[in-house]
Amino acid sequence: MPRPPAPKATPAKPSGPPLGLIGAVTAVLVALVAVLVYLAVRGDGLEAEGAANTLPAGGGIVVNPDAPEDATTVHVYEDFQCPFCGVLARSIGEGLTEKAEAGEIRLTHTIMSFLDGNLGNDTSSRAANAALCAGDAGVFSEWHATAYESQPTEGAGWTDADLVGFAEQVGLEGEDLSGFETCVAEGTYLDYVTDMQEAANREGVASTPTLVVNGETLSREELSLLQSDPGALDSVLAAHE
Amino acid sequence: MSPRVLDAVGLVARLVLGVVLLVAGWLKVGDLTGSVQAVVAYELVGYELARFIGVTLPVVEIAVGALLVLGLFTRASALVGTLLMLVFVAGIASAWTRGLAIDCGCFGDGGPVDPEDTRYLEEILRDIGLAVAGLWLVARPHTLAAVDTLLRRGRT
Repeated sequence: MPRPPAPKATPAKPSGPPLGLIGAVTAVLVALVAVLVYLAVRGDGLEAEGAANTLPAGGGIVVNPDAPEDATTVHVYEDFQCPFCGVLARSIGEGLTEKAEAGEIRLTHTIMSFLDGNLGNDTSSRAANAALCAGDAGVFSEWHATAYESQPTEGAGWTDADLVGFAEQVGLEGEDLSGFETCVAEGTYLDYVTDMQEAANREGVASTPTLVVNGETLSREELSLLQSDPGALDSVLAAHE
Repeated sequence: MSPRVLDAVGLVARLVLGVVLLVAGWLKVGDLTGSVQAVVAYELVGYELARFIGVTLPVVEIAVGALLVLGLFTRASALVGTLLMLVFVAGIASAWTRGLAIDCGCFGDGGPVDPEDTRYLEEILRDIGLAVAGLWLVARPHTLAAVDTLLRRGRT
């Protein structure tokens, strides 16, 4: 007579859900948080309204929109807290402005603000906003030059009073000055400033200063030449015509 | 070697890889713009993907780092940590061979640097060392003072 099969030994049942399940849930949670953070910081498509003479989609501010069609295009990517942007501006800023006024070049500035995150303040964004406010008042180039003349040591930052002070130095007064002050205090163009940062990253610009002449990014050697020798501007521009 | 010594080696591997990931993620998560820009600087992927990586990587690093420090799901976490390190090594090596001059951005502050300031070899060796720590844990996930051990004990 065959023996009946022995009853199966039931293994001790673990209490609670299996470890694999807990692990999988943890992994899903991590992925979910990552995606949520991604969605939360996602740009809304660069639609912010810019100031006078700004290009759409965070494209930057054009110093001389009336430049002739065949003028050499010069695009400066900068951050007001970047020390070498200051060195570059103090070296060739005047030359660029003159060439823009003469219609030899079409000059565009994209003012980035990534150094805020790096330095833990908000000076880059506020200064970029103020530069656009200066554009509204018709003194972008002058304000830009004056700000770089008194660039703080990296990280020290500027107060709103500093930013307004530069506007006084370039001769803004009366309604123009009070309009500028309001524009700075309200951060009128801060959304556009965010768009400029993002647009620059989209164009592959990952550092400042970056100079693009007729679509060609200047080399490190060309940049350091321009930083030390304002007279080199003609030859460097000519090399990219 | 006695299992206890091997468990202690595992603990060290867990803490080294875990703390480095935690710190790296923490430094980046407070400056997501900089993190995205550091990925852009590698010139490897388009902007949208660079932004996705720049934003999500710090979150993943913090999560995996925390799990490793706790010793929770050690093998799976170590596997992810190891894979991250291998991807980092590949990215840095690629930047090096293409003649870019960038900081790896491993701890924030990425982006272009002067050519004489690049530290590619150092960065690659560090990440390979961390990958070895991760591989140890994948091969032998049992370590001292791990939450994994408590979990299993509560279940038998």
